[in-house]
Amino acid sequence: MRRFRLKWPVLAIFLVAASLIGTSLVHTARAATAPSQIKIGTLYASSGTFAVASQGQYQGLKYWAAGVNKTGGIFVKAYGKKIPVKIIAYDDQSNTSTATTLYNQLITQDKVDVLVADFGSVLTSVAIPLAEEHHMLLVDPTGSGANFFTKKTDYLADVSIPASTVWPIPLAQFILQQKIKRVAVIYDSNDFDASQAETLKSVLAKGGVTPVYYNGVPTTESNYAVLLHTIAAQRPEAVLEFGYAPNDIAFLRDLASSGLHFNMTFTIFPGQLLALLTKNVGAKALAYTYTYPTPPLVRHDVVNLGDNTAQFVKNFTAAMHQAPNFLDAAGYNTGLIVQDMIARAPAFTQLDFHQALMNMSGKTTTVLGDFKINENGAQLGELLPVAQLIPQGQGVKIVVVYPPGKGTGKPIYPAPQH
Amino acid sequence: MSTSLLAYALIGGILYGIFFALVGVGLNLIFGVMRMINLAHGQFVLLGGYGAFLLVQHLHLNPIFGIPLAVAGAIVVGIPLYFAVVPRLQASRDPEMLSFILFFGIAQMLDAVLTMIFGANQRSLPETALGGGNIGVLGQQFPDSWWVGAAASLLAIGGLYLYFTRTRLGFATRAIMANREEALATGIDVERVSAIAFITGLALAGIAGVFVPYLLGSISPDIGNELTTTSFAVIIIGSLGNPLGTIVGGLVFGIGTMYMQTFFPSWSNLVPYALLVIIVLIRPSGLLGKAVRVT
Repeated sequence: MRRFRLKWPVLAIFLVAASLIGTSLVHTARAATAPSQIKIGTLYASSGTFAVASQGQYQGLKYWAAGVNKTGGIFVKAYGKKIPVKIIAYDDQSNTSTATTLYNQLITQDKVDVLVADFGSVLTSVAIPLAEEHHMLLVDPTGSGANFFTKKTDYLADVSIPASTVWPIPLAQFILQQKIKRVAVIYDSNDFDASQAETLKSVLAKGGVTPVYYNGVPTTESNYAVLLHTIAAQRPEAVLEFGYAPNDIAFLRDLASSGLHFNMTFTIFPGQLLALLTKNVGAKALAYTYTYPTPPLVRHDVVNLGDNTAQFVKNFTAAMHQAPNFLDAAGYNTGLIVQDMIARAPAFTQLDFHQALMNMSGKTTTVLGDFKINENGAQLGELLPVAQLIPQGQGVKIVVVYPPGKGTGKPIYPAPQH
Repeated sequence: MSTSLLAYALIGGILYGIFFALVGVGLNLIFGVMRMINLAHGQFVLLGGYGAFLLVQHLHLNPIFGIPLAVAGAIVVGIPLYFAVVPRLQASRDPEMLSFILFFGIAQMLDAVLTMIFGANQRSLPETALGGGNIGVLGQQFPDSWWVGAAASLLAIGGLYLYFTRTRLGFATRAIMANREEALATGIDVERVSAIAFITGLALAGIAGVFVPYLLGSISPDIGNELTTTSFAVIIIGSLGNPLGTIVGGLVFGIGTMYMQTFFPSWSNLVPYALLVIIVLIRPSGLLGKAVRVT
């Protein structure tokens, strides 16, 4: 058999030509399949229990999208170019049934590239099984219920708020440090609040403290007068109320008008929606209350993704004509994480997105602090410190009192009667 | 459990219940006279609350002035709404079901309008406007606002009682509630009396709304439907179609809720619906309703 031999110049020309054709084909293929827009699907609530918080989060996400689209979009590694983003959003009216239908529509009809959950655990809870069923990564900004993160998953990532199981750890440690023995806990019967109450109880138990009052109330609870007197009968030193903003408002107003006084009172939302709480409850009733302070009330100066706190506050205020709150920051942060995730994912698939997030974990710091998720999708990066609202002029200022390394002042304990 | 706590829950329940009697009585009046279920009732309660909020916010007036504003608002809104909607509904084959659908639509519209105007944020009224202190009875202290709210409720329901028992219009209203066709046959101007009852029902809802920010912490557009369902439970417990039975329904609801908050707080929101189911099973006409013979 006669052997066919190529001479080396012919071989070189062939290889160069093949390589050029190959590159050209890859580019053609990429260009052919690259979408004209990256579709980000999400829900918001224009009405209902979660409207205030949900709209803040949505506004933050829109602010981020407007910013990146001004620069031509986000870099998509899988296509090797920048592509504009388009937010497809529907109004779920704080209703989980409506939210279920609309999440389904985003996945099956709109075929969004990235699915972002609405605010909070209640409206996120219905998206989790849908995302799992459709093999879609659910980017979860603020759904932090403990039950979400009980098993390994590729389809859930809590990006902007720590899992609620870790929220009260510094708070419980602070209570133990203050040697407070008589603690009353009243919580809303939903995953977000109940899981915090449960964690707090277990950390306190390790320190030898058993709550003298530990009860759940309906999430719709709006009258705490009798509850407060039932709690006072147990003579607690500290009263901790875990609820959503409307609950906090009703609780603090009823406490102020009840004539009761406790050495320590804690609620969640003054640390997230301070302006709203001050408007409804009044600075006097908020004075000396403890809370979890969140950005921008606490600052992160050194970041490696997006704006730091000061830049974010300045830019957001200029663009939206209002100062941002935590939920605005959470929405913005969600956009940043999505942006970096897509810039890192080698292929445009949901599993590659998830792997990109895992690769970012522990190496990313944003306006909300450290980003760190575990294999169950839980955010564990930035523990929320404990702060006290100290009267200042006609208002209150946030003073971080725990942990000691992050403190900006000392707690005033017991709280003075006023 | 100390007797002090039991007494606190009892007095709190009475005050809370009297207030909820006012919240529900307008719904019951409209149903009693027109056999129509006003599913937008909670939204009309909210309109009263937002009216008081505007008076405080922009005119720096005491929220109590929200009461005459609620009455004026009920006249301005009620007359055109009544004549646009009610005669057509009454002429239809199934006014009860149609009213259900129509007022559901009105409720959704009011929700949307309130959200557009006021946003989704919670709004409160200053505690000091109604006193800011506490009044004690039998050693149990409750905020002034609770007492003022209960007193205003008693006055409004007392006024309704006097209207029913001392005025010709009141007699006519009761006659229509007893039997619309017979009232018509006896020469009562059913249309006019019904229109007055409709406006009175809206006014009572608006007056209740003035006190919602005090008894429920704040107002926001999303609580309208919850107010409607609670009102509905209260009037069924008392007696559907008998406005004065509402006060009994309110008291049973208020005291039940406060005792549940004391002993089983997690279950307290079941109270109105559990009572409703029990009453419907045992005494379908309500606690103050006439006995029904089961055939």
